[in-house]
Amino acid sequence: MNAARSIAATIALSTGAICHADTYALIVSGLGGEAQYEQRFEAQARSIATAAEKVTGSSSRVTALVAAGANRDAIRQAMRALAGKAGRSDRVMIVLIGHGSFDGEEYRFNVPGPDLTATEFGQLLNQIDAGEQLIVNGTSASGAVVDRWKRDGRIVVSATKNGGERTATRFPQFWLEAVTGPAADINKDDIVTAAEAFDYASRKVAESFKSDVSLATEHARLEGDGASKFQVARLGAAALAVADPALSSLMDQRVKLERDIESVKERKATLAEEAYYDELEAVLVRLALLQKQIDAQAAHPAATTSMLGGSHGRI
Amino acid sequence: MAASDFLSQTGGGNASVFNGWMRILAFNLLMATSAASHGQAIDYDPRRAAELRECDDHAYRGRVEQAKECYTRVRNSSATVMNQAEAAWALGDIQRANSLFREAAQNKNQNNSLPAQAKVRWGRLFLQAHRPNDAVVLFREVLQAAPDDVYARLGMARVYAEQFEGQARKLVEDLIKEDNDLAEAHLLAAQMALEEGRFDDVDASLDKAMRSIDKHKLPPLDVYAMRAVLDMSRRGEARPEWINKALAYNPRYGSVYQDLAHFQVMRRRYREATVLLQRAVEIQPDLWEAQAELGANLLRTGDVVGARQHLTLAYSGDAFSATTVNTLRLLDRVDEFELQSTKLTIPAVQGTGTVEVELRTRLARSEADALRPYVQQLAADSIASLSKRYGFEPREPITLELYPDHDDFAVRVAALPGIGLLGVTFGYLLAMDSPSGRRVGDFHWGSTLWHEMAHVFTLELTDHRVPRWLSEGISVFEEWKTGPTPGVTVTPDALVALRNKKLLPVSELDSGFIRPQYPNQVQVSYMQAGLVCLFVEQKWGFERLVALLRQFTKETTTRSAIEATFKMPAADFDKAFDSFLRERYGTLLAAPEEWQKQFEEAGNDIKNQRWSDAIPPARRAIELYPEHIGPDSAYLLLARALDKTEQRYEAIDVLNRYRRAGGWEPSALRELAKWLDEAKRHEEATEVMAALNYVDPLNTDQHVQLGERLLAANRPEPALREYRVLMALTPKDPAAAGLGIARSLRQLGDRAGSRRYLLDALASAPHYKPAQELLLQMIEEQKRNE
Repeated sequence: MNAARSIAATIALSTGAICHADTYALIVSGLGGEAQYEQRFEAQARSIATAAEKVTGSSSRVTALVAAGANRDAIRQAMRALAGKAGRSDRVMIVLIGHGSFDGEEYRFNVPGPDLTATEFGQLLNQIDAGEQLIVNGTSASGAVVDRWKRDGRIVVSATKNGGERTATRFPQFWLEAVTGPAADINKDDIVTAAEAFDYASRKVAESFKSDVSLATEHARLEGDGASKFQVARLGAAALAVADPALSSLMDQRVKLERDIESVKERKATLAEEAYYDELEAVLVRLALLQKQIDAQAAHPAATTSMLGGSHGRI
Repeated sequence: MAASDFLSQTGGGNASVFNGWMRILAFNLLMATSAASHGQAIDYDPRRAAELRECDDHAYRGRVEQAKECYTRVRNSSATVMNQAEAAWALGDIQRANSLFREAAQNKNQNNSLPAQAKVRWGRLFLQAHRPNDAVVLFREVLQAAPDDVYARLGMARVYAEQFEGQARKLVEDLIKEDNDLAEAHLLAAQMALEEGRFDDVDASLDKAMRSIDKHKLPPLDVYAMRAVLDMSRRGEARPEWINKALAYNPRYGSVYQDLAHFQVMRRRYREATVLLQRAVEIQPDLWEAQAELGANLLRTGDVVGARQHLTLAYSGDAFSATTVNTLRLLDRVDEFELQSTKLTIPAVQGTGTVEVELRTRLARSEADALRPYVQQLAADSIASLSKRYGFEPREPITLELYPDHDDFAVRVAALPGIGLLGVTFGYLLAMDSPSGRRVGDFHWGSTLWHEMAHVFTLELTDHRVPRWLSEGISVFEEWKTGPTPGVTVTPDALVALRNKKLLPVSELDSGFIRPQYPNQVQVSYMQAGLVCLFVEQKWGFERLVALLRQFTKETTTRSAIEATFKMPAADFDKAFDSFLRERYGTLLAAPEEWQKQFEEAGNDIKNQRWSDAIPPARRAIELYPEHIGPDSAYLLLARALDKTEQRYEAIDVLNRYRRAGGWEPSALRELAKWLDEAKRHEEATEVMAALNYVDPLNTDQHVQLGERLLAANRPEPALREYRVLMALTPKDPAAAGLGIARSLRQLGDRAGSRRYLLDALASAPHYKPAQELLLQMIEEQKRNE
């Protein structure tokens, strides 16, 4: 189908409501040991927590524990609170920043007062019922926890390959960049997924070592399924949609068009080249036009317009 | 005065200034050869046991079976542990020889002299097993107890000589002064003189060696071999006389060919070396070093299959060679590289037509698509320029290899990791560090490529007869005159050498490269060689430099070539050159402290943000030393001060002068481009950005910005190149590059191609708004045209 002919056609927009699960986040920065690390860890945790609010839609669903407040008891309490709130259909994201250590048997997250061990943290995690979980352990030696914490429905990201990589890590800084700006958003949909953030951060870590001409002392890992669907940041209109039903509806329509694009791409091998590009063009044009509506709605949330002649009521 | 003293007195004396001068690295060494090493060398020590001498005689005469039988008997039944060790060594059982030498060296029951002698011989075993550091430890142990031990000192001299270290010569001279009857000392002196082209000295040393050998009834094989090499060096080819003598003495003496090959390799005559090495292994297949050298040499000429075959053979007989192992490991990873061939069209040397030159690039797959466009462009430009200037068209394909891992490059050229070279040329094959192999700003890869390409012309025009100094000199000179960073840049250590009268006469300049006598002499020699070429050009014109080079199309010496070209004795040439330098650098040499003072003052003012105060001393520092273009050069200080005092126009002028002087520091160029943009001098800004590709080609932002500028300037072809490179650099995030390609093709009128790239970009990033905008624009246009 030629897109030029389809441009005037009304897009059949899906208005079906999509059931939104809640997302909860817990961000913890552990003990720095030195002032420079202390400040860095805390600043990173606060920025990641702010970015998480755009995904969760509410600051009440984000808990940040920093400095002296990030002690073992506070973490246990926050984890139990998460377990109490997050149901099966919800999502939970936990980010740990700071120093970790591994003695060959046990990983320890260094926090003020007694450290938290991988075993204890794993037990706390297992009390959380949320069907989709993402644990980002950005500490040194964090690779030691991956195999212990992974399970169905849980994605585990670590800054290091194993417990032997003990140098202070660079990974959290790049994870922070990934969730606070567009750099990691490969498909430009204003949504950064765990997979995109992981790709970006691990690539940047590698580049930073290369640029220093120094031996890389950390190699990040990601274990678990669903990282390309797990949202860790929302930017632009996607961030606003959380609190704007009209925008949210348009975003739902966008999801449907995304599926159409995927469908065309999946059929690429079976289509003649020209037919493939024609079909792709048609759906991309519809998406581009819808995006204009989304942008207009995002710019003027009170107004609702139809650029295509179709009528959409204000939701 | 050492270079470091000069820096502290005249160069600012801080680490960053010194690092600035690390640009010297851009002047690459032409070649790296492994040191001459031999199998079990003849033991000239008169203390060698009689029971071994009997076996030696069989071995030196090529009577393999009898020698084996004899050494086996000694190994199994000698009453002396050290003789057992020697016999095991001669039988090729290095491990056992090692254990026996250890035992002999510790044996308290022997007479007093034996442990020292055993340690020296044990050290020699380590030398043969490619472990010179372990050998040195043993020689030093002996020398600690007995500082005058002749054979330990000879061992040290051998190590130094094989590593081309300057102290070898002094050590050998001292030994000969003490005892003129030391055959090995004379042979070492001859070898070093041969390497440095002092043929008369070779003659004299070999005569003395032969007298000693005759006197002590030692085998003359080394003398014969070296005579053959001398003959070849003087005449261009070896007459059969000395080879025949050696083979008459020992029909299995492959070393005579190996030695000839070694000196051919030193002269970068790799094809000739290959023939000789093939002959060496024909008559002595178990000459493992020759097998290894043959493999390495075949690799230099691009024969990967042949190289692997001989290196594998070498490994089978000598598993101790790190160079063999390293090279085989690199060959195992050959699939990580991509070889691509392209035909370059360059102007013909004669007439107005064009000729085709085949360029083969071997690049790491991970970066091949990103680098190839610039590599090809620079290769084409350099070949066109150099062929016109030197009147020589390449006769064979030119292969260019870029290694992202410096140790891979080092193994490729010298079979050892950790060497400090940037590039090496083996005739029509160039290997160098890839821009990704070093920190951005450490080297200008474009200049390195240009430098190496100049070697192709000087080597091939003279059939590899050009002396090292002239080949390096022309390469440096071409960097200054025609390369991507034109501008004569002479480093402080060269000026120190000039001030301290340490520059070498031109006829001896090769020794500054081969066997340096003081730190940094190699770098100083690069500078001196480049300046000699500059001197020739300025005094007699460029054509005379070409004439000098062409002297080496036949066998000659530097001295004769100088005399024939300039009609003056070499000594007079040296005097004229010295005057030229003293005139050129007179002001600075007269008062280096003045430059240091002004430079430091400007630096301090900048550090303390006293911008206006920094301007006069920075200006004065540039006047005194305009060739100082390192990262902290006075140009950069002055530009910054001018900018901060709202004199942007002048600041731009200073950075432009910095560029014309050869400056290429990437952050300075980026600043210049930004300032030019702000001054609405967009075309100049784009040109500066494009120059950055030859410093920092793997920077994605650089290609995004440049592509955008070129599209804005309606230059879609170079823009297309930038976006294609961006695509290669960002395979996981192809949308921006795809859109850039689509826009470039659109400007070029290729609507169909543009549409496909645009749709592919959107397929990877469906919400990419700039691409969506273009898509809607295209659809609207299509609609209007229907």
